[in-house]
Amino acid sequence: MTGKAYQYIKARDAVMRGIFLFCAAFSILALSCICVFLFANGLPFIAKTGISNFFGRKWHLSSGAYGILSMIAASFYVTALSTAIGVVIGLLTAISLYKFCPQKAVGPIRQMINLLAGIPSVIYGLFGLIVIVPYLRDHVSPNGIGYGILSASLVLAVMVLPTIVSVSLDSLNAVPGSYYEGALALGATKEQSVFKVMLPAAKSGVLAAVVLSIGRALGETMAVIMVIGGSPVMPKSLFQSVRTLTANIAMGATELSGDAATALVATGVVLFFFTMLLNISFSLLKGEANGER
Amino acid sequence: MKKQLATVSLALALLLIAACGGNSNTNNSNNTNNNNADEPKPISIIAREDGSGTKTAFMEIIGLKGKADPENVIIQTGTAGVLTEVKGNPAAIAYESLGYATSDVKILKVDGVEASTANIKNASYKISRPLSVIYQEETLEDEAYKAFYDYLQSSNAQKIISDEGYVSIIDNAAEYTINGALSGKIDVSGSTSLQPVMVLLASDFESLQPNVEVSVSGGGSGTGYQNAEEGVSEFGMISEEFNIEKAPSCTFHVVCKDGIAVIVNKANEIDSISMEQLKRIYDEEAGEEAITTWNEIAK
Repeated sequence: MTGKAYQYIKARDAVMRGIFLFCAAFSILALSCICVFLFANGLPFIAKTGISNFFGRKWHLSSGAYGILSMIAASFYVTALSTAIGVVIGLLTAISLYKFCPQKAVGPIRQMINLLAGIPSVIYGLFGLIVIVPYLRDHVSPNGIGYGILSASLVLAVMVLPTIVSVSLDSLNAVPGSYYEGALALGATKEQSVFKVMLPAAKSGVLAAVVLSIGRALGETMAVIMVIGGSPVMPKSLFQSVRTLTANIAMGATELSGDAATALVATGVVLFFFTMLLNISFSLLKGEANGER
Repeated sequence: MKKQLATVSLALALLLIAACGGNSNTNNSNNTNNNNADEPKPISIIAREDGSGTKTAFMEIIGLKGKADPENVIIQTGTAGVLTEVKGNPAAIAYESLGYATSDVKILKVDGVEASTANIKNASYKISRPLSVIYQEETLEDEAYKAFYDYLQSSNAQKIISDEGYVSIIDNAAEYTINGALSGKIDVSGSTSLQPVMVLLASDFESLQPNVEVSVSGGGSGTGYQNAEEGVSEFGMISEEFNIEKAPSCTFHVVCKDGIAVIVNKANEIDSISMEQLKRIYDEEAGEEAITTWNEIAK
């Protein structure tokens, strides 16, 4: 009797172990499928067109010029500017929520900021297209163009806020309260304690927030495509129609075929490479953060 | 406390700067509006993404086949995006399927000819293109597919085409004869320019032949070529002259013609534009010849 029950439990464990193993394997399988797809299509294409063509300045499909340098530059500017705006606003928000605003308000404000993360990116794009772009065009832009790096960065800055606020607030909260009390006991003011003691102690968490938001800004497609303009030229101004790497892929994905479509996959390889760099630096930062405590 | 105050005042200062910057520029643009006829009014050039059937056809017709867009072009990835932009941007110029152009925008005459159905049919309006389905020859051996192909040429289909503002090119078409025994499933995919009218044609065909199911999906002309070539769809929709290199095993049938309207904002004073001017606006390599302001067209 007991032997039978034991056998049953053992069999059930084996089955469950198999199911869990399959689930774990599934995501790895998905990842490797995507990697194989990207590299098997993209790398031979890059080799075929040549590094100097593929990383050149000219993207002109009908003459076989697949240069994505202008898009790398545009992606870089958009990501940098949006992260800069997002980090300044987001970090100050997190600090204010941490010690400087009434405790009763913290919960609702956090909730609302998190709600921002739940808004679909196409809504951000629509908002940018209908509100931000015309506003910039009519009131700010010196050349009558609202599309470009600035409008994309403004939209993205709002999109990365939830990440920055919640990750840096969590890392501030994770710093032992005794640091803060110790600083106060030594005669530091509230501001000095937060900015000079708590913030440095939460440094790696804040950096992680920055890296995460860079990843978000770099990878965002739908919202960007609607406000960036889309001309594949070197960015020279904040108000100029340019094209990011993600926009390049999305704009042509359903329309292009043949070599041009493969060029999009190769663009994906470059994007994947940047994303991987970001992920690695994120893991390093996270490891450092855990190591400190 | 001091730091907090400093932060708040910094933020306020930033806001003020932004607001001031905004104001001063508003004044500038007001000046432009009060024109001074010589004040240059730059053109916002709107185009579609590479691979779009409308773009391919437009560029080919105005004599810029295979050329890239001018540098400061704004690319919209769909018909709706183009219309929204032209509706809201007083300096915009764009091209769009005539069937789609709404009363929210102004349709320009080209070389003095109005973009109307009659003018497209008699070919006096130059910017028009065929909307076709492409298919593999063997496809028509199947009864249901052949019936749909015949239906596209029937008077039933021509009526829907004209009602939707597209240009029917088959005169005196015969009415479709219903085959009661017919059943099957037909997949049509491709050009988003042909898609809206194809959806109506498909549902009309389904009501005549209740046992046949026709599914119509978009994706663009590129998708149309690919799906027909690979046999994923029985019929691929394309919105440009059939290019056999893109689908070597296929042949085509022109369903109807569609004019491409040149559209501008309602507030624009221009009524007519020439092919030559269009070419100089949309040509990346126009150099000195390039038209970049509305003033140059008004003259």
